[in-house]
Amino acid sequence: MPNFHRKLERSAIGFVLAIIVVSSIGGFVEIAPLFTIDETVEKAPDMRVYTPLELAGRNIYIREGCYACHSQMIRTLRDEVERYGPYSLAVESQYDHPMLWGSKRTGPDLARVGGKYSDAWQVAHLRNPRDVVPVSVMPAYRWLEDNTLRTEDLGLHLKAMSRVGVPYTQAMIDNATNDAYGQANPDSNYAAGVTERYGEATNIRAFDGEPGRVTEMDALVAYLQVLGKLTNAATAANVAIKE
Amino acid sequence: MVAGLTKGERQLSLAVLTLLALCGLAFAAVGSDDPIGTHGFIILLVSIGLACVVIAGYYAPEPDKAQLSRYYDDPTRAGIVLAMAWAVFGLFFGVWVAALLAWPELTFDAAWSSFGRIRPVHTTGVIFGFGGNALIATSLHVLQRTTRARLPDQFSPWFVLIGYNLFCVLAVSGYFMGLTQSKEYAEAEWYADIWLVIVWVVYFLIYIRTLQRRKEPHIYVANWYYMAFILVVAILHIVNNLAVPVSFGHAKSYSLFSGVQDAMTQWWYGHNAVAFFLTAGFLGMMYYYLPKRAGRPIFSYRLSIISFWGIVFMYMWAGSHHLHYTALPQWVQTLGMTFSVILLVPSWASAGNALATLNGAWGKVRDDATLRFMMVAAVFYGLSTFEGSFMAIRAVNSLSHYTDWTIGHVHAGALGWVAMISFGSIYALVPWMWKRERMYSSKLIEVHFWLALSGTVVYVFAMWNSGIIQGLMWRTYNESGTLAYSFVDSLVAMHPYYIARTFGGLLFLLGALVGCYNIWMTIRQAGGRVVLQNAPDVDEPALAPTALQAGE
Amino acid sequence: MELGKRDPVTGRTTTGHEWNGIEELDTPVPRVVLFFLSAAALFCVVYWILMPAWPLGWTYTKGLLGRSDRAAVTQAVEDAAAERGVWTDRVASLDYAEIQADPALMRSVKETGRTLFADNCAVCHGTEGTGGPGFPNLSAKAWLWGGSPDQIAETIRVGINAENADTRSSQMLAFGRDGILTRPQVNDVVAYVRSLSGLEPGAGSTPERIAAGREVFAANCVACHGDAGKGNREVGAPDLTDANWLYGSDVQSVFNTVHGGRQGHMPHWQNRLSPVDVKILALYVQSLGAKTP
Ligand code: HEC
Ligand code: HEC
Ligand code: HEC
Ligand code: HEM
Ligand code: HEM
Ligand SMILES: [Ca+2]
Ligand SMILES: [Ca+2]
Ligand SMILES: [Cu+2]
Repeated sequence: MPNFHRKLERSAIGFVLAIIVVSSIGGFVEIAPLFTIDETVEKAPDMRVYTPLELAGRNIYIREGCYACHSQMIRTLRDEVERYGPYSLAVESQYDHPMLWGSKRTGPDLARVGGKYSDAWQVAHLRNPRDVVPVSVMPAYRWLEDNTLRTEDLGLHLKAMSRVGVPYTQAMIDNATNDAYGQANPDSNYAAGVTERYGEATNIRAFDGEPGRVTEMDALVAYLQVLGKLTNAATAANVAIKE
Repeated sequence: MVAGLTKGERQLSLAVLTLLALCGLAFAAVGSDDPIGTHGFIILLVSIGLACVVIAGYYAPEPDKAQLSRYYDDPTRAGIVLAMAWAVFGLFFGVWVAALLAWPELTFDAAWSSFGRIRPVHTTGVIFGFGGNALIATSLHVLQRTTRARLPDQFSPWFVLIGYNLFCVLAVSGYFMGLTQSKEYAEAEWYADIWLVIVWVVYFLIYIRTLQRRKEPHIYVANWYYMAFILVVAILHIVNNLAVPVSFGHAKSYSLFSGVQDAMTQWWYGHNAVAFFLTAGFLGMMYYYLPKRAGRPIFSYRLSIISFWGIVFMYMWAGSHHLHYTALPQWVQTLGMTFSVILLVPSWASAGNALATLNGAWGKVRDDATLRFMMVAAVFYGLSTFEGSFMAIRAVNSLSHYTDWTIGHVHAGALGWVAMISFGSIYALVPWMWKRERMYSSKLIEVHFWLALSGTVVYVFAMWNSGIIQGLMWRTYNESGTLAYSFVDSLVAMHPYYIARTFGGLLFLLGALVGCYNIWMTIRQAGGRVVLQNAPDVDEPALAPTALQAGE
Repeated sequence: MELGKRDPVTGRTTTGHEWNGIEELDTPVPRVVLFFLSAAALFCVVYWILMPAWPLGWTYTKGLLGRSDRAAVTQAVEDAAAERGVWTDRVASLDYAEIQADPALMRSVKETGRTLFADNCAVCHGTEGTGGPGFPNLSAKAWLWGGSPDQIAETIRVGINAENADTRSSQMLAFGRDGILTRPQVNDVVAYVRSLSGLEPGAGSTPERIAAGREVFAANCVACHGDAGKGNREVGAPDLTDANWLYGSDVQSVFNTVHGGRQGHMPHWQNRLSPVDVKILALYVQSLGAKTP
């Protein structure tokens, strides 16, 4: 071996090629089959896409770095299932570009937080976590209520998402801005379109308690309230868990 | 800086800067209502500023033949200064981030200063700002010394160094504004990612062109590692950052992959960012400065071969240990775990090779804090790789994952290995670069060493404790067979450790400040005093024809 | 292969190359490295044979042990539930009085209830159940919907103004905002309501105003809060004569309540917690604030 290597280390190009070949194998063997093995991502016919408001909320979640403290991945371990609910399935993040599984739990897992608390609580908590949980170390996000959500370009966001494979229809893309408004204003004319395009189960509420203006708070709470609710596949897969 | 460039290179610089300024202008224009506009302005300002510098020095005399036949070390000097500046910046944010978890109100109640935004400022500041600059600076030095060839030109190393720092600035300023792809260690947005690819290609070209012109028949081990670092980081970076921007006027992009495929790609990247940025690159550093400082031959050439190829091959399989028990298919987890376990062998082989190299030089280790930095770095390298392989075992990971144990492991590697080897190498390098007999004060190196070591130990022990307590509390059951502690119970239990960690970090930061002062004083004295021509450890000049060695 | 010079410290020869003063020894790879390499490789191979491991295009090797994390955790959770059955089965079958009469059983209930409450309810109701602005104090025994374990369990199961088909619904109308009352009328009734629990009168709270407020109250509020303002558990209307205030007792808060209305939202737990868990929580909630543990 040393003799072969003595030859190799005399050729810069040869060495470069050797590094590329040797280092590429692992990633290729582990990643490529994830696209070809069918059972990697479970089937969930009821899976729906994020509404424009929820997508905007997700982008705020990313912007503020919530993923640095919160995981969205319940592992197949007894204590996690008992604390947070059914373990997460791959299909649940099928439309997550990028995924937000997280790597650190400074705060609790959020994979199933949708519907767990009220909108009013979410707002109070984001305004200042220590108002509701005195020992919390989570930052206060007071500016979310003040910032008006940027909605005029949501169609472009949906379009980009559809480019990477999320099944947004043309109607969804065309109506993105109105749908964002309608979802946060249940009494407006735009609310009906949201139900029509995204399904009956979609939450249509004044999430920040203040209809009329769509704030970043509306978007983030709308997103939090849909976590774990895009499909029922996980509950179905975990039925045996219910006592 | 400009004086070292030839006329043609000065013109090339101006052309490149004009192009860059145009890009900045375009971004500033299309992104008027988007953060990308701010970045456009930053790019514009930087390129105009640099253009002014080039223009100011444009008519300075060109470097003469003698100068062009000596090693080209200006970029290395600048890189050292930049590395230390980023170190202070990144460590300061580390201490702040740590303090926020103990006292969450320690912030300006403004978006830019909230935990989620400044945490990536810390990680990028230390890994890419400090680590990256240290790697570029040392690699350009080591490359020339071990090939006995001058860098191929004067322009490209500056392009790499400045371009790379521009990337870091775009990344970090982006996080303050909330621009992030949320992919750990790859958070910068699409246009910064593309810019880094360009910079990286030039970096690779410098390397390969210099190697091609080398006057040593064999490529030295340090260069194997630096080359693996450059090549593999390029592959990882390109694949993991594939994304579709919302539009060319938007900073925001959506990653090409989603869900489980995205998770695997991200951690294939994330783990190997550790492997090839934080490990391979710094092993390259260690393979030059440690034997040089110790004055000893490498313990075993054959061991070097085994560990190098072991690391290059096996690391790339290990990424899935970040996804144990998740929705990632179990077969991938098996591969990640098994390769992580076997990876321990080449890792310890490297650490062992370094430590055994010190045989015959232990007296120096005792007396010389610079060498001691490197020795301790090798020990922490061994420790964190052992810990890593251990944590990669699924049963262990079920406890450690998501907890501070991971953070403890990270910083055993980051503080103990990455930062210590860098400080050691920089202390060895600075007197050579500024032609001084030795550092300004060896006492202060000693002080820095003890601050760094105690800071690391406090940090790591605090996180081991908190991590294991946290992991255990989450899964402890009471006599009734139900969960004994709530999440908030575990949060309360973390508080004392978070205070201890902040204190440890503060010690480490103080050490770095001492280091900066020491380096600064060394440089200043170099300016004021007669430049040393022939000190024993000044490894220059070596391009003299007599040094040529016959090929085999 | 060329040989270099001999290193005096180790006695080994160098490889004969030198890079700016750095040399390498030709030391053979230590046996122990090869040993551990083989041992680790052996471990890997065995593990690959037993566990799901290698991808094969459209499928992957399943491993001789046929193990699956998902099956394993489902089994573990079932086994644990069965093990807990010793006492949870009794919680499920006995009625509340019987459970409360059994100290050993109550110990398990409280132990379990504490974590369940802390992980699910404490963010709103506080770790000790003392509540906060907008979230009722569960330890004060001033129940909106009734304080028997049955009633509490029902509240937990269906929630209040929640997305459950059986949800308890309650609404305090927005008398001011919706124009049912004029602003002076609202001010009057606020003064009156505050006098009911003997609070320090606020600015401008004259006896005349209180008297006027009494009229307004009789005409608009008794339907829900009752003649004496003692509340009504049928509609979740709070007792206005006690010292417990859900939304605060200062003039501004009470004004906000009467002017803008209130509709507290308590999530329902039917889909999230098992019937036994709900029963445990009802008992735990009822025990909150009790003098004896
Ligand atoms: C510094 C770390 C940190 C950051 C950053 C952070 N959180 Fe938290 N989060 C926590 C902690 C700790 C808790 C638990 C205590 C509490 O409820 O406040 C928590 C709790 C929560 C909860 C309640 C979860 C439950 O089940 O009780 C939600 C929802 C939440 N956070 C959302 C967010 C969102 C959205 C963001 C970003 C905008 C965010 N968090 C950022 C630390 C953080
Ligand atoms: C998102 C916040 C929230 C959470 C979480 C929550 N509650 Fe509540 N709860 C409320 C609110 C608000 C009310 C009062 C509703 C109203 O205003 O009528 C309430 C009312 C109640 C009541 C009725 C009190 C009475 O006086 O009749 C009980 C009992 C109760 N909660 C128990 C629980 C338990 C047990 C849990 C956990 C499983 C829980 N709550 C979780 C917000 C919450
Ligand atoms: C339709 C039934 C209804 C009528 C009519 C009604 N209330 Fe209420 N009231 C409620 C309910 C239900 C609540 C509790 C709301 C909650 O918990 O979110 C409430 C709460 C209140 C509170 C808050 C108590 C606290 O603890 O903070 C006050 C004060 C109050 N009502 C006063 C009035 C006055 C004054 C009127 C007449 C002008 C009135 N209510 C008429 C149903 C009613
Ligand atoms: C002054 C010294 C330092 C302090 C106080 C410090 C503090 C911190 C803190 C508080 C975190 C966040 C942990 C969490 O989210 O719970 C963190 C993360 C991190 N730090 Fe540091 N740090 C220091 C030095 C360094 C150095 C020198 C490096 C690298 C060279 C580094 C690399 C990292 C990395 C990679 C992470 C992310 C870990 C993860 O996501 O798992 N740190 N640091
Ligand atoms: C044999 C070598 C190593 C192995 C097998 C290994 C393994 C691991 C494992 C299992 C984790 C935890 C993953 C999780 O549960 O989320 C981890 C995290 C980490 N390790 Fe290592 N490690 C090794 C060496 C190192 C070294 C030398 C460093 C240098 C700094 C390092 C830096 C990190 C970082 C930064 C993380 C955090 C990643 C995140 O953000 O979650 N590791 N490593
Ligand atoms: Ca992480
Ligand atoms: Ca990126
Ligand atoms: Cu890793």
